[in-house]
This record gives sequence, C-alpha cells and structure tokens, in this order.
Amino acid sequence: MSHEVKISTRGLRKCFNGRVVLEHVDLDIRAGESHVIVGLSGTGKSVLLKCILGLLSPDAGTVWINGEDWSKLDEDQKLARMRCIGVVFQGSALFDSLPVWENVAFVLLRHGMPQSEARTRAEEVLEWVGLPGIGDKMPAELSGGMKKRVGLARAICHRPDIILYDEPLTGLDPVMADAILRLMSRLHEELQVTSLTISHNMNLVRRFSDRVSMLYEGRIHQQLHRDEIDACTDPVFRQFVMGSASGPIQVQGMIPQRRERA
Amino acid sequence: MIALLENIGALLQRMFLQAGLYPTLLLKILARMPRRPFFARQLMLQCEEVGVQSLPVVLLTAVFTGMVLALQSYIGFHRFGAESMTATVVSLSMLRELGPVLVGLMVAGRIGASFAAELGTMRVTEQIDALWTLSTDPVRYLVIPRFLAACLMMPLLVVLADGIGILGGYAISVHALDQNPTVYWNNTFLYLKEIDFYSGLFKAFVFGMIIGLIGCTEGFYCEGGAVGVGEATTRAVVLSAMSILVGDYVLTAVIFQ
Repeated sequence: MSHEVKISTRGLRKCFNGRVVLEHVDLDIRAGESHVIVGLSGTGKSVLLKCILGLLSPDAGTVWINGEDWSKLDEDQKLARMRCIGVVFQGSALFDSLPVWENVAFVLLRHGMPQSEARTRAEEVLEWVGLPGIGDKMPAELSGGMKKRVGLARAICHRPDIILYDEPLTGLDPVMADAILRLMSRLHEELQVTSLTISHNMNLVRRFSDRVSMLYEGRIHQQLHRDEIDACTDPVFRQFVMGSASGPIQVQGMIPQRRERA
Repeated sequence: MIALLENIGALLQRMFLQAGLYPTLLLKILARMPRRPFFARQLMLQCEEVGVQSLPVVLLTAVFTGMVLALQSYIGFHRFGAESMTATVVSLSMLRELGPVLVGLMVAGRIGASFAAELGTMRVTEQIDALWTLSTDPVRYLVIPRFLAACLMMPLLVVLADGIGILGGYAISVHALDQNPTVYWNNTFLYLKEIDFYSGLFKAFVFGMIIGLIGCTEGFYCEGGAVGVGEATTRAVVLSAMSILVGDYVLTAVIFQ
C-alpha cells in the first residue's frame, strides 16, 4: 500500500428534506488499500458512495479522486474519468436488455473496441469470476449469486484502478457470500486495485479490509486498522461488532429488554 | 386546520417540483443533442419500437375511424341531400384533426407508458446509476434516442394513418353506401389545401415531443420502487393524453386563425 491518496472527502455534508444524512465526513483512502465503511442501515453509507461517484451532489464539502477535485469538473469530464473506477452495485444493476457478455464489455464497446475483441475480453473476465460460457444468456436467466459475479466482471472488465462495492454480500447465501469474498480478495491482490466497500457484514470487514471506518449519525465515528477491531473499546463500535440490540445505539421501536430476576 | 394547510402546501410543493422536472430534462436534451457521442443504434431501436411496433394499433384505429366517420357523415348529409360531401368531411377531418390526435393518443398509451415503465424500472434497480459509472451519460444513451424517435416517428405514423383512414372511408362509402367511386375520390381532394396536410404533420411532431418528454421525464426521475414505477407510468399516459388534447386546441387556434 502506498501513501498516495486515491479517494478523499473533505467536510462532506448531505441533507434530504431537512434531515442531515452526512455531516462533515472526512475520509482518505490510500492507493492499494481496501477500506470498508460500516454502519447501521440508513446511516448514509450508500449516500456517501453516491456522493463520491457524483451520482448525488453534496450540499457542502469536496470529493477528490486521483488528486482531482470532482466538484470542479463538469459532467462530461467526470464521465471521462469514470473509466478509472469500477462499481459493483448491491442489486447488481445489470442491463436487462443486453446479454451477459455485452453487459460485461459495455465500456469497451462504448469506447470503440471491435465487437469480437470485446467479446473475447468479456469471456476471459467471465471465466475469471467462475462463469465461463454464459455470455449469451440474458440477466433474467441468472441466479442472484451469478448476477453478482457478472456485476463484478463488468466492474473490472475495463481494468479500473479503483473499485467501489455497495453491499456486495447482501442477499447471498453463506457459500455464495464466501465465493464472492474470495473473488474480491483475489482481485484486490492480483490487480492491486484500491477498494472502497460499503457493508455491515463483519465477516467481510475481518477478511477483506485493511482499514475500517464506522459511519454513525452521519459522521465518521471511528476509524481503525483491521487488527485494532477486537481491541476497540468504543461502546458504539463494540455494540455494532457484537451485533447486539442493547447498548448506546438505540433501535427505534424496540421493546426494552426485561431484566432477569435474581 | 394547520395540518390541512400543511398537507395542501406539501401537495403544491410536490406538484411544482414535479412540473419543474419537464423543463429540466428538456434543457438537458437540447443541450446535449448536438454534441457527441451519438447513439445511432439506440435511436434505430427506438424508432423501430415507436414506429414499426405501433403500426398495427395505429392503422387499426385509423381504418375504423375513417369507416365510422364516413358512415356517420353519410347519414347526416343524407338528411338534406348532400351525401357527396362525405368524402370531403372524411379527408379534412382525418388530415387536420383525427389523424394526429388519435395517433397521438394511441402512441401515448403505448409508448408513453413503455418509456416511463422502462426508464422507471432502470432507475429503481440502479441501472441508470450503473450507466453513469460505466462512463456513459444516461441522458444521451437512454433519453435522447427515445425523445427523438417519438418526434420523428409520429409524423410518419400520422401520414400512414391519414391514408388508411381515407381508404377506410372510401371502402364504406363506395362498397356499403353505393357512392360513385370517381366522384368520391375527386371530392376527397377537391377542397383540401396544403396547410391541411402540413398542419397535421406539425401537430404530430409536437405530440411526439409531448409523449417523448413526459414518458422519459416520468421514468427518468422515478422513485419509490415498484409502486413509484406504477404511478409514473399512469401519470405518463394521463398527462400525455391530456396535454395532446389541450395542445391540439392551442395548435389549431394558432395555425388556423
């Protein structure tokens, strides 16, 4: 891991209908690092990802990617620079009207690569994710796990140096989740990419992260190295790691736990 | 009372926000249309969807409209011995009003709904976000081809509908009502002016813009999951149909006064 910062946010703030979702979020993700952002559901993890990608405009603050301030770029400039980023969406977000290989080779075809060459490249990447020979299938014919792997193949087909994952293990059975996690680790090691992952899966954090940040009440509440997770004494982070409903994090609508009689 | 006012205020705010989306998307379309990249394949696919796939429903509507118009006009004119005017009424009505309006309403139902449902589903399943992350502008890739296809195909559909409607009227008048075919054919074109034809085409172009813009806007800015897609689709059809009828009056008043 180098000290070069690939993604950086400074003072990021985002509100929806007066409700503050992100407040003064400062984040640095170094080149080659695997950084995982954890947090409760609805704490703004995906909003943060969308602000970084330019899909949402922050109300305040700046996003820097590869040393460039993205708030100063127009839409066409951002689109041009998107080639260095691959994104794996929570629901895969494959294009229903295109066969699998065209989904995977979408960027290559868009940038003028001949169809046969793009198809060969797509088949290679599909083989890499363990799905050889499915190029002609339509996304509707695939299972959830296969869609996720095709989504991963699409994200890496144009060889980006940054990959963003939005809840990559959500909705998968444990075996498939393990398979995806192995692919992500292999990808990270073999291609030396910078990864930013949004998740609330502690298994993913322990196996895939170099550093972890906890988003709580719209702010980065805690930032740790992977090895520091178990030693952390912060009660909010501990409660999240333990997966317990009792603690400083109040779960709306929960009936308070009865005290056991002595 | 305060709660009621708050609800009315919230409703008005939502309506104004929704109304603001149409000019927003139109400006984006107009600003990006002349600049590269152009998605010719997408445009051809949408032209096929809007034009070729709409042909059966449009032609069926036109032929029966021409037939019923001939039948009704004949019955009316027969009361004072002016049956020969049937052909003129059919051709004038088809070219100036019925062709563009009925085709507009049919295409609004078919294509407006399809645009809103397709783009809405893509929005709620993050496919539009995915396009952006694959360095592709969703407005250029998804919206402009649909908008252009609706604008270009509507006049062509109306020309065909006009022709088929007039032929439907001819078939009923000549074969069922025993009118003289030569006289009928002559009367069809006798009182027509060029503006009757071109005004219909212009209306069709404007209606195409309305259908494309409303369908795309409703789908592109859709939110709220499956329910949101359903609402957007309904709104697209209802708003397009209403806008076509209002727009028809305005255009007629402007062109012929």
